[in-house]
Amino acid sequence: MEAQALQFFIACVTAAGFGIAIAAFGCGIGQGMGLRSAVEGIARNPESSGKVTVTMLIGLAMIESLCIYALVVSLILIYAHPQAGAIAALFAH
Amino acid sequence: MTLKAYSSEKLSTVNNIQQRLLTFVTRSNWVLLASISLLGLMAASPAFARGMIFGGLIVTINFHLLAKTLNKALRPQRLTSPNVILVKYYIRFIISGVIIFFLIRQQVVNPIGLFIGLSVVVASITIATMVELKKLIFKEAV
Repeated sequence: MEAQALQFFIACVTAAGFGIAIAAFGCGIGQGMGLRSAVEGIARNPESSGKVTVTMLIGLAMIESLCIYALVVSLILIYAHPQAGAIAALFAH
Repeated sequence: MTLKAYSSEKLSTVNNIQQRLLTFVTRSNWVLLASISLLGLMAASPAFARGMIFGGLIVTINFHLLAKTLNKALRPQRLTSPNVILVKYYIRFIISGVIIFFLIRQQVVNPIGLFIGLSVVVASITIATMVELKKLIFKEAV
């Protein structure tokens, strides 16, 4: 039974790792695309830097929060799984 | 109305909306943080309230620092070195990651409370967009 509990925790850690990796990949691509377009826009029309910066700031904050959510979920899976105790107790019987 | 006058009027409207959005989001971040903190302290357990407060503080401070960094990076009249901006960006990210790690590792906060706290900026951006949309729709209707 201990082996099953261990398997459960291994699955949690694997899920956490893959979760944050996929989230970072997606957020990195999203932020990169947004930043590229903003820089291109400012290079074409330097006077519009203020407008572009404001819009990009809001977009980047939204994208960044998604990555922070994924980080929190991954850390919860590893360190603070709400049902971890109960599941470990189930396996122990 | 000539085409030039019409386009310049449209441009100034867009400018106004963007500036209003940013001002609204910056202010409503703090207002939302204060509201959820009070609500958490009054109606939820201490760990849940701590989660809301810490989560809200992390994202709100992050948003302000991001705004400062982007303004320095992209405004041609106040450009700073790209290396400085990159280092600051990573330091900010690492510090928020480490804080969240310790909060969850030491079980100082309730994870759901932390989640709600971390949604402060997203909620305020959504509210700001809805307010602006409402203004635009009603303006169009009149």
